[in-house]
Amino acid sequence: MTENTGIIKKLTEVPPEDYYVSGHRTCAGCGAALGYRLVLKAAGPKSVVIGPTGCMYVANGHQFLTSPYAVPWYHTQLGAGGPAGIGTAAAFRALMFKGKRRREDVNVVVYGGDGAMADIGFSGLSMALTYEYPHLLYLLYDNESYANTGIQASSSTPFGSSTTFTPPGKVKKIGNERQKKNMALLAASHPGIGYVATACTSYPVDLVNKVRKALSSDRPSFVQLLAPCPKGWAFPPEETVDMGRLAVNTGMWVLWEYEEGRFSLSVKPSRRGKVTDYVLKQGRFAHLRNNEDALGYMQQTVDEDWRHWEEMDKTGEMEIHWMPPYLKY
Amino acid sequence: MINTAHASQIALTLSQAGVSAGREAAYYMRYDDSPERVQLPFITYAVLGKPDIKTILPEEVDPVGGVFDALVVLDSSMLIKSTSQRSLLLDGAKRNAALVVNTSLGPEVVLKLVKRYACAQDWEGKIVTVRAKRYNQNIALGAIGALAKAIEPEVTLDNIIETLYALGNDEEKVDAVRRAYDDSDPVSVALRAEDCEPYKLKSSLAEKKSRAPKALKPWDRERYVEIKNRAAEAPTYELRYESMPRWEEIAPGLVEFGPKVGERNIGFKTSFARTFRPVIDEKKCVDCKVCHVFCPDGAIDYDPIRIDYDYCKGCGICARVCGPRAISMPHELKVLEDLDEEEFLTIREALIEYAY
Amino acid sequence: MWTGTRAIAEAVKLADVDVIAAYPIRPYTGVMNALATMIAKGEFSAEYLVCDSEHSQFEVVKHASAVGARTFVGSSGTGLVYGAEAAVVIALGQLPVVGIVGCRALDDPGNFGMEWNDALLFRDVGWIMSWAKDPQEALEMTLVAYRIAEDERVLLPNFVAVDGATITHVASPVTPSTKSQVEEFLPPYRPAHPLDPAHEAVSKAMHISPSLIGPEQRKALDAAMKRAKAKVIPEAWKSWVDVTGKETPAFVETKHAEDADYVMLTMGAYSKNVDYVVGKMRDRGVKIGSMRLRYFRPFPTEEVREALDGVKGVGIVDFSFSLGSPQNGSILYNEVKAALYDADERPQVMGFIFAGGREMKIADLSKAAELLVDSTRKGRVDHPVRWMMVRGEDA
Repeated sequence: MTENTGIIKKLTEVPPEDYYVSGHRTCAGCGAALGYRLVLKAAGPKSVVIGPTGCMYVANGHQFLTSPYAVPWYHTQLGAGGPAGIGTAAAFRALMFKGKRRREDVNVVVYGGDGAMADIGFSGLSMALTYEYPHLLYLLYDNESYANTGIQASSSTPFGSSTTFTPPGKVKKIGNERQKKNMALLAASHPGIGYVATACTSYPVDLVNKVRKALSSDRPSFVQLLAPCPKGWAFPPEETVDMGRLAVNTGMWVLWEYEEGRFSLSVKPSRRGKVTDYVLKQGRFAHLRNNEDALGYMQQTVDEDWRHWEEMDKTGEMEIHWMPPYLKY
Repeated sequence: MINTAHASQIALTLSQAGVSAGREAAYYMRYDDSPERVQLPFITYAVLGKPDIKTILPEEVDPVGGVFDALVVLDSSMLIKSTSQRSLLLDGAKRNAALVVNTSLGPEVVLKLVKRYACAQDWEGKIVTVRAKRYNQNIALGAIGALAKAIEPEVTLDNIIETLYALGNDEEKVDAVRRAYDDSDPVSVALRAEDCEPYKLKSSLAEKKSRAPKALKPWDRERYVEIKNRAAEAPTYELRYESMPRWEEIAPGLVEFGPKVGERNIGFKTSFARTFRPVIDEKKCVDCKVCHVFCPDGAIDYDPIRIDYDYCKGCGICARVCGPRAISMPHELKVLEDLDEEEFLTIREALIEYAY
Repeated sequence: MWTGTRAIAEAVKLADVDVIAAYPIRPYTGVMNALATMIAKGEFSAEYLVCDSEHSQFEVVKHASAVGARTFVGSSGTGLVYGAEAAVVIALGQLPVVGIVGCRALDDPGNFGMEWNDALLFRDVGWIMSWAKDPQEALEMTLVAYRIAEDERVLLPNFVAVDGATITHVASPVTPSTKSQVEEFLPPYRPAHPLDPAHEAVSKAMHISPSLIGPEQRKALDAAMKRAKAKVIPEAWKSWVDVTGKETPAFVETKHAEDADYVMLTMGAYSKNVDYVVGKMRDRGVKIGSMRLRYFRPFPTEEVREALDGVKGVGIVDFSFSLGSPQNGSILYNEVKAALYDADERPQVMGFIFAGGREMKIADLSKAAELLVDSTRKGRVDHPVRWMMVRGEDA
């Protein structure tokens, strides 16, 4: 592990130094940018960061040949997050092992969006998770769409979400009809995986600790970070932090960890809010305002999911909850 | 400008009206402003060809130095800051260009602001102010009415109304445009470049353009850093663009040097995004660091807690998460000019209309 | 006795490559098999990553190269096409990756035969490309490729193209360079700005606004390719000659061409067949010669013009196709014609397309040479481009 190490207990222990600094073309209130700041604070200066194409590439692009990254940073293609991470890690290992560079721990963080990691880069990511390079974190910032290209559906877009590829209308009332793919669970089912977790930009202490645990693993790790998106989800930018809290409090986003094969919940809301408390605050679900059926499906999904989450928390074992698709429901 | 849908509607209506008046027309958002980001300004152009020329001349639509006959400003805070790509709001204005502003402030106040912040050239055009929300929730309609008044007889109100119906607008909407047109009262202005603050600033920065010799030399790192830092720090877009390195001078392999830890990105200051700015009441602040942690732009220094207004985008998260409620969000025009602007689109209004 | 793929693996070992990315596809896979065996046996050490696809393969070496590792990769045919996105980005990002292409016919349909289109897909984006004629040359070109690629005046990736089957799978005598020769010839890879927190923080390949910097970045690549042609490639081969004592031309090799009226031009392994046919015709008194391009990119325009100066007719033996191109020609054919356009005196040019993956027969090659001679003597080219070896009419 590198200098910035250690589990923190309070917000005032979040390190003050920024390695993703001010001066980028992100939306006001951008959850993914907030996530970038926090993840790199946690990772520290002995890090190399890879940025697959997406909002966190294009919006951070250079103006007048300057950069917001105070650590070494390299772009990679949309579907190349997986190989980019292990290529980088392999180079360090080769050079250190052969005496061409001094031996020390170097973090590699791949900060890619859901479009990149859950869709086009899924194959490469899966391959990467089967390797044994240490201090390598695949961080999926989940704004639940292909945001940079103007909000299109990915396989991480929730059921019922309006996007430009899944717009609601008289004939197609739901918007996105697919269920959201659970990338963290998929990562966790790779053989011998070291560390997998979910996080949220509204919980910075939890996020910093998970990033540090991930980076101290001797195998590639995976963290899926919910990054509320004012543009894509259609809410005022000042509500970005509130939105993450609502996601967790209604149970629609679950904070958990899977360490060396043992599962545990990080946050267990004692009484979950109704999904409508979260969902109807966002313009992307506005068309479902009066669709009791669809909203009921969403609530039932969460309720049934949570029986499994709670069971997993008790036993520490992985489980899969099979929820039928909406049209069969 | 915080809502592309409004701008597109204005541009579409104007273009189509131009077509029905026998012109060639085209409209588009400035490519470099895309993808749209919440609260970041962008420019949408509508171009009408001269009746006797069948094609749109490329020079007329150049996004960097394009000239315009009319400018519609939907968010008046734009008057007091530069856009990221156009240095000054009135850069490129033709001598008799019209300025239409959605604002509760009067034309004299607008002129004062223009003189202080937005103009560095001779300008003998007109100003039209409109309180667009008074005519319809959709501010594009009020703006169209005011624009029609400002640019007639290039395109007539009849052209516009005919187009509005053709585009599916109902009577209520057309009426909103008509009323805005009727209420609009263009005020002629005559401004000399020398009277404008930005002009004085520009001319005080002598053009010391020392360019590299033409011979191909090995890449020189010191020189490169010197040149690009000068480009990044130049106060106007024009000067920055002209200061950019030649191809021989850029670093090989698409490599850029990052900021040092503790520095910010000098190449991209984002103050132009703000309509409202956070202000910390020191007496209420308990130094809990929550605002520093949750700022997506990292624009709040840690010790002491202090907002760097070069980089704050005015998203409002800090005000929202502050426990003691020590942060308020006044309008930029209030903070900088002590003006009470009552005409603005809230983000919620903009997003709901725009997105879905 | 080594196949081309085994010979290239030897070059990779001699160059002390650090990171190798593997994915199987015929007919280049042998090189990766050989490297895996060498590493397993401890003959040299490198990180060897088995990837999930060619796209990942090329991405792995791209990032490893950015950190400062010397890398090796390769592919063939449709696999190379799958990795094309990554391969393009490597060149435009100026990374000195070295790879081999085991030239194979493009899908569809699946076809293990030899064709050049796969490698030639990348001819515009900045890959330096050389064509080896046998396993010995494949080994040498691979070693020299590292030196050219990593030169700070160039920083462009290199493909060594080896004809599928004829070089990849045919074993012939190979004399590998010695370690001390390589040490003298090939300096270690030391990038100026590695992606490494031990060095100054750099951001590589940031998104740009083309109105600010786009054309400048492309022009810089153009300059790098020009420097490769004018200085770095000739210097490298001259140094190679000094170190090994082997006379080796940099860009083109000609036989019987000094007083030739007709020249047959090609690349790769089949140049030996061409030399054979040309030799036989010389015995009969025909003033014909042969020419082989060692580099396709940068294209040896000056050398081609010089060698064809005074020649009356040139026949291009081309293992590529280019549907709908000028004169419905093929890639090498069109490039040679373009190179000759500004020559003071242009020879007649005939194209002989050997695409489709079928093994070339001497009879077809002789037929082509005879057609060249006849047509040149007539002073008129009725049929500028012919598909050879096709059953049926060539209309």
